[in-house]
Amino acid sequence: MGEVVNITVNGAAFEAEKGSLLIDKLLDENIHIPHFCYHQALGKDGNCRMCMVEIEGQKRPQIACDTPIKAGMEVRTKGENIEKVRRDILELELINHPIDCPTCDQAGECKLQDYYMESGFYESRVNVDAKTHHAKRIDLGSNVMLDRERCVLCTRCTRFCSDITKTNELAVLGRSDHSYIGTFPGRPLDNPYAMNVVDLCPVGALTSKDFRFKQRVWFMNSFDAICNGCSKGCNITVDHRKEKYKNDEIFRFRPRRNDAINGFFMCDEGRLSYHGENENRFTTPLLEHNESNNEDIIANIFKYLSTSKELLFLIGPNLSTEEMKNINNLASKLNVTISGYSPDTLDEFFGDDYLKNKDRATNRASFKKIGINEDEAYFKKSLNSASVVMIIDNTYFENNLALLEGKRIISLFSHTCKVVEKSDVALPIASFYEKTGTYTNCDGIEQRVVSKMKKDNGALTITTVLENLKDMIGKGKL
Amino acid sequence: MNPNEMIVKIVSKNFDIPNSHTLDVALKNGRYESIDKLFTMDPDDVTEEVCKSGLRGKGGGGAACGPKWKLMPPLDERPRYLIANGDESEPGTFKDRQIFQYDPHLLIEGIICSSYAIGAHDCFIYIRGEYKFFIDRLNAAIEEAYAAGIIGEKVMNKYDYRMNITVHRGGGAYICGEKSALIESIEGKRGHPRLKPHGKECEWFFGQPATVNNVETIASVPNIVLNGYESYTKYGTEKAPGTMLFAMSGPVKNPGVYELQYGCKMTDVIEQIGGGMKEGLKLKAVIPGGASCPILTAEEVDKAYLDYETMWSIGSTLGTGGMMIIPEGVSMVDVAKNLIEFYHHESCGQCTPCREGCGWIDTIIKRILDGKGTVSDLTTILDVCETMNGKTVCVFAPAVKDIIKSLVQKYRDEFVSYIETTEKQGDAING
Repeated sequence: MGEVVNITVNGAAFEAEKGSLLIDKLLDENIHIPHFCYHQALGKDGNCRMCMVEIEGQKRPQIACDTPIKAGMEVRTKGENIEKVRRDILELELINHPIDCPTCDQAGECKLQDYYMESGFYESRVNVDAKTHHAKRIDLGSNVMLDRERCVLCTRCTRFCSDITKTNELAVLGRSDHSYIGTFPGRPLDNPYAMNVVDLCPVGALTSKDFRFKQRVWFMNSFDAICNGCSKGCNITVDHRKEKYKNDEIFRFRPRRNDAINGFFMCDEGRLSYHGENENRFTTPLLEHNESNNEDIIANIFKYLSTSKELLFLIGPNLSTEEMKNINNLASKLNVTISGYSPDTLDEFFGDDYLKNKDRATNRASFKKIGINEDEAYFKKSLNSASVVMIIDNTYFENNLALLEGKRIISLFSHTCKVVEKSDVALPIASFYEKTGTYTNCDGIEQRVVSKMKKDNGALTITTVLENLKDMIGKGKL
Repeated sequence: MNPNEMIVKIVSKNFDIPNSHTLDVALKNGRYESIDKLFTMDPDDVTEEVCKSGLRGKGGGGAACGPKWKLMPPLDERPRYLIANGDESEPGTFKDRQIFQYDPHLLIEGIICSSYAIGAHDCFIYIRGEYKFFIDRLNAAIEEAYAAGIIGEKVMNKYDYRMNITVHRGGGAYICGEKSALIESIEGKRGHPRLKPHGKECEWFFGQPATVNNVETIASVPNIVLNGYESYTKYGTEKAPGTMLFAMSGPVKNPGVYELQYGCKMTDVIEQIGGGMKEGLKLKAVIPGGASCPILTAEEVDKAYLDYETMWSIGSTLGTGGMMIIPEGVSMVDVAKNLIEFYHHESCGQCTPCREGCGWIDTIIKRILDGKGTVSDLTTILDVCETMNGKTVCVFAPAVKDIIKSLVQKYRDEFVSYIETTEKQGDAING
């Protein structure tokens, strides 16, 4: 940090770095400053003119996004004068806006709507009969839909494609109030991070084909989590809703700022991975391929654990650190071999040099921390001598089912798979977003996820299953 | 002042000579004479000479040319560029094309002088795309100069100074006459003006230092190099020395481009150089320096002198010196519509106030013309003008505000009576 100077904002004193942008300070201090075009990941562009502030000694209002901080600066973001300036700009912004909030999917999280409501500018003097009209449903590609009439031309989306992904698919075309966002003919929006433009868009111009019209945003609840699509662990906000007579369901993931990990963005594959949470779930416990219940299944697992000699636990790298530790403790207590062998989560084609990591496992780093063996040789040796294999959320056998021939199989999975079908005992467990736990990402950063999902599917968490088992082991009987 | 005192031919010296655009004729008439002297001088001395001459940018702003050159960083390994702005997109301005047409070699000579002063070896001439004829002529002259060894690996075949000139055709946008939008345009991007730096610095072309000068400014340099700054400062006013190409359009007897020294009285210029108004017409107003300068009423024209400071003092600007003369009988509502339609079409659309403001004013004035206007519309226009002023990246919006606000304020009665008359007509038709 450079030289620290004192400034005042609305009379309150602050310390700030000399030369840094005023708007960053205002945003960091949570001081309300309306803006469309500025974004901390994309830098200043100065086109929307909404972030006007009054600075003592300057005869004209200045845009905070292009004002470097100077010592002794006296800034006002409130007051009649400056609010009028912003209201005037907003009035212009709305001249050609269709004002179709009731049918706009952005309503409820639209900056234009928010600023309009807080400005109290309720009587329009815009008596323009003919607004400029543009196409309203354009499929840009990569699940992004464009409504040109709602666009405020802040160019965040074009700057994202030119500065962050460097793919340059989007551009402003045309001039004056007929300007619009578009792609080059035959060159759709096509990059692995494209859907971030939907979050970047401050208004309803860019919406996600995946999410639009599925939910009104004010009906949804949110909690902070991390994406389990790869070992990067991008921070996200999970938007979910339990509708009447329906189960709690996730409707979208949105990236959440974490400068140490993902900045402001996430990849499209991770964003859409929430679909997996709702699809293909394993819900009914199976005992010898027949429907059963959780109590019977746990009793049977205990039976196997207490009677079998050659046992192997194979656990997956997506489990939380707590779960891994608990299983590991159980294994050492029972003197059972435990392996974390899981080469199937490595995907060279997925990785890139930005956010996507070739290891698709969320918590592999914890294997090393806890001391769970991941070696192939160790695993193969243990498997050969094992008569019972308990597989917990590990998908290695999906393509190696033959290796399980002649062995008794206990499986704990959240989603159905071939191993479940083949298992002697199969217990459905809570999925990634239905449980609370800690995860260590590829850079060794620990992150805790506290789920607020209230799923009503009877799936237990691994921790609960283990508690039950431990109880039984303590009592030494069923 | 009489016409002989007003007209001083420095840049336009060769304009009347037949075939002055060809190298042979140009060489016979003094072109490239300054180069020998140029290479006896230090680049810094050239800049100093230009500073002393008080040469001011002819593109509209009137910023001093020498101090602008001094903004270039000290010489280092980076390439440096000179960019000649010949976009000439301001309505009412048609001076640069005279240079392209009649004396392109003067421009090349000026480019050599200016490039040498700022240490540039590459010059880009950004020329208005519609200027097909002038582009061809300029390119022919540059080819001649290359063939004769005047530019290229050496200057004048003997001075060890590489000089390359490239002509870049504009795509037709008004805003690309703004220097930073112009640079963006040559860089292959959309012609959007850049945010202005917070301190004084040079321009940046592909990230390298560059200077942008108007074509006429560059064409004024060879005389200063060859004859010294006194040859320039002896004309004009103290703060605006020298001469400028003034373009005069409208119903005067002799419209055209005239090189005059600064400080001439506007009525003298119109009467004696322009030959006065055409028979039966009376002067109503003048837009003094291209379409975006505040309009002058007939009374204000009487007080106007053609130099920057006097024009500022009467609330207008000299701009590019392109005077548009408007006679009695022309409706100012029509003038406003004509101008705002142009600006509405040409706003680059980057900043909200300009993008939406120009369109809104255009719509309001159209409503007035359609007979649906009200007097309160005039207040709205002035309000929008205020929102457009000083809140944008470039000076396009403030310039629109200047002309529209001056029209509505100075000719308010005309707007009001237009609105009231059409209202009655409308009532009569409807009634």
